[in-house]
Amino acid sequence: MVDVFGIPQKNSRGRVLVIDDEADVRKSVTMSLTKSGYEVIEAEDGQQAIGLMNSGDNPLAVDVIICDIRMPKVNGIEAVSYFRAQYPSRPVLVLTGFPDIQLATDLLKQGVVDYLVKPIEREKLAAAVESAMTRSRKAA
Amino acid sequence: MVSGDPINVILLGAGTGGTSLLELFARSPGVEVVGIADKNPDAPGLKRARELHIPASQDVAELLSRDGTGLIVDVTGDPAMAEFIARHNPRGIQVLGGMTARLLWNLVQHEAGIQAQLFQAAKLATIGTFTSGIAHDINNPLYLVMSLAEDMADESDPGVIRDHARDIVQAVRRIAAIVKGLTLYARVSSADDLVGVDLNGALDEALKMARYATVLNEIEVARDYVARPVVRGRPEEILQVCVNIVTNGVQAMNGRGALRLSTRREDGLVTATIADTGPGIPRDVLDKIFDPFFTTKEPGKGTGLGLHIARTIVKKYGGLIDVSSHEGRGTTFRLQFPSAG
Ligand SMILES: Nc1ncnc2c1ncn2[C@@H]1O[C@H](COP(=O)(O)OP(=O)(O)O)[C@@H](O)[C@H]1O
Ligand SMILES: [Mg+2]
Repeated sequence: MVDVFGIPQKNSRGRVLVIDDEADVRKSVTMSLTKSGYEVIEAEDGQQAIGLMNSGDNPLAVDVIICDIRMPKVNGIEAVSYFRAQYPSRPVLVLTGFPDIQLATDLLKQGVVDYLVKPIEREKLAAAVESAMTRSRKAA
Repeated sequence: MVSGDPINVILLGAGTGGTSLLELFARSPGVEVVGIADKNPDAPGLKRARELHIPASQDVAELLSRDGTGLIVDVTGDPAMAEFIARHNPRGIQVLGGMTARLLWNLVQHEAGIQAQLFQAAKLATIGTFTSGIAHDINNPLYLVMSLAEDMADESDPGVIRDHARDIVQAVRRIAAIVKGLTLYARVSSADDLVGVDLNGALDEALKMARYATVLNEIEVARDYVARPVVRGRPEEILQVCVNIVTNGVQAMNGRGALRLSTRREDGLVTATIADTGPGIPRDVLDKIFDPFFTTKEPGKGTGLGLHIARTIVKKYGGLIDVSSHEGRGTTFRLQFPSAG
């Protein structure tokens, strides 16, 4: 598994970390984004994702983080604020099973770049990831 | 309000009307049913009376000869009964029969209908608070269905297509199971006879619903069940009791904590306990939690009817409900019913 922590593969459009407690959702995101030319790394919950990001000498090279809200251990709200604080340059997208306007507003205020609701078409997800990457490159 | 000594009532007739009156009287303070009689040994009210520990008999004359009766309520519908009572009522105990009994019966039916509607409305309001959780649980497998189908559209490998098709079928089954659980809960309670309801199953089903009540999903559940803790009742009503109490626990912990569900069976009683590690209930609130419309929750999260309904149903089945709570440590609700197993 160590080799995934390096620089993204040459012909990949970028590397995405997806955090969701449901294997089904991880599978869906991986399928959709792989088809769209991205490399996908999966984590089951916020705790595992944070561990992944911080393992090794350098933070894991990911271009975009996609995070669920309703998860055991470190939940999405906590994971998002952790990533915003520790890795402010990594765009975070929230992908959730239910639209909650209040929560969406709070998260967007925290710097989440997009609030996506499942089920989402492959093209829409890829477009959201692409625009998040473009924005973060411009900011860098 | 109730004043003075309780009215000791003898009920004649244990059919549908008698049974409803029996249940109403049994839960009314100030009214004591001292006996019930019906010529038909299989009349439903006789069975119900035994469950409520009320003397039941087939011998009307014997019942009338007992001391301490304040009122005879005749709902037999038998035109000869009035005369029979007159002959066996030397002390001239007041009799409520004929048209007045029918009037009473109509009022009771009306009240029961309104109550059933209120309970059903409360159930649907609770489903409203579950919306976000339900959406989450349905949208996840729906997402899988969508992405598998998208993938199949440009896939040519028959093996992959077959695997995807199989996964789609499984995801649809999961969605169907969620919808089935919801319809079971939302179903109008049947007016049919009471059946044996397994409390373990009711608690498990209730937990599935209660999980929908919070955004977070960090509740550790410990089950400690005895085999076949069966109570007599309508399954929808027993489920509603469990859903209301388990949901309160889940909401109190805000989706994070430990929930302990246990069942016991001893001395002809079945007990279920639901213990949470939430913030507990302050002393001054504790007295009010069973009051109708008492809630500390914001609109959309609670109606204040959950515990009132739970208690009404539990009492109807001759059971009891109590609570112990330690501020900062958690709350334990206990349900106890006569065993039917
Ligand atoms: N497990 C519990 N922990 C803490 N408070 C509780 C618990 N169960 C009930 N309560 C309190 O009792 C009140 C009434 O509960 P209920 O009748 O179910 O209505 P609702 O849940 O709609 O508020 C709640 O608002 C809450 O303050
Ligand atoms: Mg409640």
